[in-house]
Amino acid sequence: MYKAIRSETFTAWAFMAPGLLFLAVFTFWPIIYGIPLSLTDYSVIAETRYVGLDNFTRAFQDHNFLISLWNSLVYVLIVPVIQIIAILMAILVNSRIPGIKMFRAAYYIPVVTSMVAVALIWSWLLGNNGVVNYLLLKVGLLSEQVSWLSTSSTALYVLMFITMWKGLGYYMMLYLAGLQGIPADLYEAARVDGAGPLRLIVHVTLPLLRPHILFCTLISVMGAIRVFDEVYILTKGGPGTSTLTSSVYIFQKGLEQFNFGYASALGLIVSVLVGALSVLVFRLNRKGGVNSY
Amino acid sequence: MGINRKSFTVSLLMVMMMSLLLAACGGNGNTKGTPNAGSTGEAGAGTEATPAAEPVKLEFWTIALQPTFNDYFNELIAKYEDSHPGVTVEWKDYPYDAISQRLLTSTASGKSPDVVNLNTEFASQLGSKGALLNLSEYLTDEDAKSYFDGIYNSTVFDGKAYALPWYTGTEVLFMNKKLVEKAGLDPANPPQTREELVEWARQVHEKTGAAGYAQQLVSKLFPIDGIPILNEDKTAAAFNTPEAEAMIAQMRDLMKEGVVLKEDADFSKQIQYFSGEQVAFQLSGPTFINFIKTSAPDVYKNTIAVPLPTGKANLRLSNSMNLVVPQKSKNPQQAVEFAAFITNAENQTAFSKVANTLPSSKASIEDPFFTESDGSLEAEAKVASSQSLDKATDYMVGVPSAGDINSALARGLQEILLNDADIKETLNKVEKEVNNIISQDS
Repeated sequence: MYKAIRSETFTAWAFMAPGLLFLAVFTFWPIIYGIPLSLTDYSVIAETRYVGLDNFTRAFQDHNFLISLWNSLVYVLIVPVIQIIAILMAILVNSRIPGIKMFRAAYYIPVVTSMVAVALIWSWLLGNNGVVNYLLLKVGLLSEQVSWLSTSSTALYVLMFITMWKGLGYYMMLYLAGLQGIPADLYEAARVDGAGPLRLIVHVTLPLLRPHILFCTLISVMGAIRVFDEVYILTKGGPGTSTLTSSVYIFQKGLEQFNFGYASALGLIVSVLVGALSVLVFRLNRKGGVNSY
Repeated sequence: MGINRKSFTVSLLMVMMMSLLLAACGGNGNTKGTPNAGSTGEAGAGTEATPAAEPVKLEFWTIALQPTFNDYFNELIAKYEDSHPGVTVEWKDYPYDAISQRLLTSTASGKSPDVVNLNTEFASQLGSKGALLNLSEYLTDEDAKSYFDGIYNSTVFDGKAYALPWYTGTEVLFMNKKLVEKAGLDPANPPQTREELVEWARQVHEKTGAAGYAQQLVSKLFPIDGIPILNEDKTAAAFNTPEAEAMIAQMRDLMKEGVVLKEDADFSKQIQYFSGEQVAFQLSGPTFINFIKTSAPDVYKNTIAVPLPTGKANLRLSNSMNLVVPQKSKNPQQAVEFAAFITNAENQTAFSKVANTLPSSKASIEDPFFTESDGSLEAEAKVASSQSLDKATDYMVGVPSAGDINSALARGLQEILLNDADIKETLNKVEKEVNNIISQDS
């Protein structure tokens, strides 16, 4: 018996080893290495000096970093919106309507499309002479062209919209998987008790989807704080600092200006923030789920 | 209170690991490869070959030149190896986006190339951080003077030259003939000054609805109008002046009028606007032609190139490629000689003929190739830009944190021109930020 368990354990480790090795080299090691780097002025090319906590004190006096943190927190506002729409979409595509599989695929296409392509397409659509301006001018919602990505009052929200548009299908699929795991007899019982469609959603679907909501909210919050691709491709943090998010700022400090020590310190601060938000999300979603499986 | 043994062990391991890592970081100093100035100062790098006591293998990196120019380089390298017995050159080519990362990673791992092709911005950044060899210690005055002053000086800080200029391009004015004629202007008599260019752009906008031009909001807009970014000893910001306010106010008015597109348009967006005939002018180097040729052949046929009207500083911005020798090169003397060989007048002239670029060596420009035009857009742009090489400069801030300073200025310009922020207030804010950046360096 003991031998069998040992052999099973060995097999399990053998299967996990390649993945763990990969994670150790490319994920855990860089995170750990970031800690000592954050205490230096490491730039790869010049001599490295130990600077103690200077990078951290500098970070909290760095106006642009504080703005980038604020913008990242504003970005988190898309999390509830994206989750609500994704759940509603999942409920919709979970119904037995002819041709529904086509809709499932259609909503999922943006997820598998490269972010660079998505960003370029939206930059054309949102350009001064783009389709969005054309349509809004045509129906009279605008009186003159708007530079959606070059105006500080709109740029961040436009980017949030693009992130949401691209991510919806992903969360929809996760919720769809959750919906299909809810036993049909629970709905039957609720219907027998006289529950209508709205009550079914509120009292059966949502409570049983809670583990999925927790998971999706968690990765969505992390994604929102770490948002990079769309911002970097479309606005590079501009105009001014209006779309400067923490990841873009860290990238600029590290890989464009070679202040790797400072960038590591900023990365650690953002990691702590992400950790704190994750704990908060866990606390808000403690209970729920289907216990039968 | 008892100490948990397990946590104690974990903490101890963490502290040990961090100490090891810090020690590893600290060992990354630039101690190797520092030139022996005394033994090299007199040798004219471009003129005399230093015999190698042992066989020397030079690693030479270029940016996106393979496979188009394989024949030129293979021949050049063979010629060099023949005249320098014992020296072999290994040529590697990387895409534009990859070279900086490659150089960083190879430097970090202690395997430095010997001669590297870099643009001026990156060369300046590395030079100001002490990662490149000071070439002034190897070059004679004659060598230094063989290049156009503005281009050569773009990587000189504190009297130290960190790069040898190679092929270059200066900005010219491309005009959409159809739009210009529609606006009632005569392309045969192009604008001579910035003021005239603005007038032309205004007329184009009024008569055709298209904008004059699009531009990127970068720090270089200050030196074009003779406004220095830093003071002479580079210890404080110097751009917060009434002249800067006037320059920005004028640009803001032009954007409001629609004469200049109200956008921070990078090069790819500028191509897009010119291809779509949304603007009548384009202010950039001759490389623009290749893009317009493929993206909008009809517009290409309608485009002419003329010398760019200069701003108050009477200079033209150039985009140069350089050759640098990393501080960690194991064969600095041979590396500098090879870089000087590649960039000498004869070889630069030959390369320009093959690649249709401009040389940075004064003697090259006397070749008829740079003075005679066959009427094609390429030839016109080449003649127009080569005749202005004496006014060309690759403006660089020249301090270790130049990137931070450039970003601060670009953000400030965006705040004012795109977000309607107050000019004086924003300039004060950016000035404070730039002074902070400089004080952190010192």
